[in-house]
Amino acid sequence: MSTATVEPRAGTPAPGVPNRAPSPRRPRKKIFLGAGMIWILPALVLVIGMIYFAIGYTGYVSTLDWNGFILSPSESVGADNFTQMFQDDVFWLAIWHTVVFFVVTFAVQTTIGFTFAALMHSKLKLAPVYKVIIFVPTVLAPATMAPVFRSIFDVDGQFNWVLRHVGLGDLAHPWLADSATAMPVVMAITIWQWTGLTFILFYAAMAQIEPEVLEAARIDGASNLRTLVSIIWPMCKGTTIALATLGIIGALKTFDVPYLVTKAGPNHATEFLGTYIYQTMVAEKHFGYAAAISIALLVLAIGGGVLMNLRRRSDES
Amino acid sequence: MSKQTFGWRRSSAIVVAGLAALSLVACSGGGGGSSADAGSASEGSITWWGWTPDKPLADKLIASFNEEYPDIEVEFVSKPIDTYDSVLGPAITSSDGPDVFNVAPGSANGGVNTFQAGAIDLAPAVEEALGSGWKDKLAASGVDGLSVDGKVVGLSAGAVYSGSVWINKDIFDKNGLTPPTTYDEWVQVCQTLEAAGQGCFVQGAGQWAFDMDTFEAIMQNIEPGAYAKASRGEMDYTDPAFEKGMDIWKSMFDDGIMQEGAIGLQQYPDANNAFMSQKYAMVMMGSWYTQYTVRDSMVAAMEAAGVANPEPFTMIPIQFPDVAGTGNTGEMFGDADYGLAVSAKSDQQAAATTFATWLTTSEAGQGAVADTLNDIPSLNGVQPEWDGIDLVNPDAQLDALKEYTDIAGSATEPRFASVSADLNTAFRDALIGVATGDQTAKQALEALQAVVDKQK
Repeated sequence: MSTATVEPRAGTPAPGVPNRAPSPRRPRKKIFLGAGMIWILPALVLVIGMIYFAIGYTGYVSTLDWNGFILSPSESVGADNFTQMFQDDVFWLAIWHTVVFFVVTFAVQTTIGFTFAALMHSKLKLAPVYKVIIFVPTVLAPATMAPVFRSIFDVDGQFNWVLRHVGLGDLAHPWLADSATAMPVVMAITIWQWTGLTFILFYAAMAQIEPEVLEAARIDGASNLRTLVSIIWPMCKGTTIALATLGIIGALKTFDVPYLVTKAGPNHATEFLGTYIYQTMVAEKHFGYAAAISIALLVLAIGGGVLMNLRRRSDES
Repeated sequence: MSKQTFGWRRSSAIVVAGLAALSLVACSGGGGGSSADAGSASEGSITWWGWTPDKPLADKLIASFNEEYPDIEVEFVSKPIDTYDSVLGPAITSSDGPDVFNVAPGSANGGVNTFQAGAIDLAPAVEEALGSGWKDKLAASGVDGLSVDGKVVGLSAGAVYSGSVWINKDIFDKNGLTPPTTYDEWVQVCQTLEAAGQGCFVQGAGQWAFDMDTFEAIMQNIEPGAYAKASRGEMDYTDPAFEKGMDIWKSMFDDGIMQEGAIGLQQYPDANNAFMSQKYAMVMMGSWYTQYTVRDSMVAAMEAAGVANPEPFTMIPIQFPDVAGTGNTGEMFGDADYGLAVSAKSDQQAAATTFATWLTTSEAGQGAVADTLNDIPSLNGVQPEWDGIDLVNPDAQLDALKEYTDIAGSATEPRFASVSADLNTAFRDALIGVATGDQTAKQALEALQAVVDKQK
């Protein structure tokens, strides 16, 4: 290291070196931070106060045995809530459901969304109408649609009615009442709702592909399928990874559909971390335990996000 | 120190101070002491929060109150029961929240165990209203269920009881059927109705609170009092009586009493709507269903269930059939539907206490409660003014309703008051697990017992 790069610390001049003003670069950085801080302060306070404080407070609550009412006494239990969580079969069941739910919904949504996006780029007639039809479920609130799906999949519902009228009456089933079929119904509803978003993102990604690339593939004799698999799909990889990241976080946060349609049942068959947190916190009043599961959810969400980000960077490099 | 450095540190200090202030705000609010000034007992403006009664009924009660206390203005704010605890908790930590709020016994939403710290002790007020023997003048379920460690947290406005079945008498008459009194008769009635294309018994078994009602009714038939004893730890769930109860519960699904897909339905709205739209002839509901024997209330309920141009039908309560063949029938059980608590932070405590005691201990207040037919009054001896109530079919309903009200009013067994939140959840897993065949009766009962053992 050359001596020219050594900066004496403020107030402690190096022996033999005259006490001089700091170099012009460093004060400029301070000026930038100081001036900028004023402008970002409101947002900083809001973010730290509203989000990071809440996370920290949840971490604190996770060490308590408390019913959640602020006037009620609480008792510190250390890591007991976490110990209980790791021994809780329902917690692990919820994790397993989250994994299965992510894999299935992500795979199906990606397949359908990618295929539809490719079809919409092939000068299809009435394409704008199809786009709207595919995307509309994405903007519908699950709370609005939940009663509809409860009705559709009821034992006397429209789905069974259709099965009976097309000669498949033997398949008619109490879909929401059976532990084996409740989860597929929840996944089907989620796929119906979010495939529109997948489609739109793939559609936009495909629009970014240079026509010359596709033209070159065709000149080289690539078929439609080969072009799709070997050219378009790899060039949409960034979108796929982004969707996977959103999918992981979405799966971890899943609450509305299972809670509204199946009440996380029957027999925890559609239990997710979100529904379990709600049950333990609101119904059972175990705020500390619910906070511990929330911390686990947070760790998993951050872990999943970091993992996908590392994957993306590795692909980019 | 340069100006820039000072500015940076000052900014940092502001951030830290802001966070500290936020932390203090978030962590404050403890104490729960009563407000210094209780205000006037005969005038003021108070707010009452509750999940029940329905707003029109609450307004009727308030109108009756204002006939006696015209200078106390009461505003009822209806809060959904599912989110009641979430909104009430922060609200009663300040004087800006409700002056009077609903509380419930046991582990239900609005449970007294949770919110007792935010309410004043109403023992002096009720003693002043009814004298030193006040406990004997009120239904026991309302007194015990709404007190915590000797503190009267809430005064029961009325109670709800379960353990009975409501039937659509018109459907039974049309099919030449009489209400079932035994298990076999019940199965036979359901087979007859199913053959006629008519639904028999509907239960939203996915909403386990009502499964607990049915199971407690079975247990009351097998061994009265066993259900409550076990929930208090005075008897084991592994007792053969409970195994028999679980077997009967399971057989109701296997023998076609419960409709197919019952586990996938909620009691509200699914089963209620199915009964009100006359798709089914029987439903497991409690004393709160009495209100729908009134013509206007039934029309409104049928419209809410999606029936166009509804024609009210004759609905009557019957005793839960003698499913175990023990002869123990007519064993109902219940709790305070809701109690009125006065917020410790209210600056209108005196007026709020006047309202709470009037509605729950005066003959006028309890008479008004009785006439809603939503609750059995807490004050002993108060009956609805049946002559002034427009029943759908008085000839068929009046005697049955009077008998039903008498039986319910004399019931002493609790419904949820002795069931903790953890036990409540365990009942969900046990009853639904047995119904679907995912658990055996033995496994389910051992799980229930494990929860009770843990609480000891």
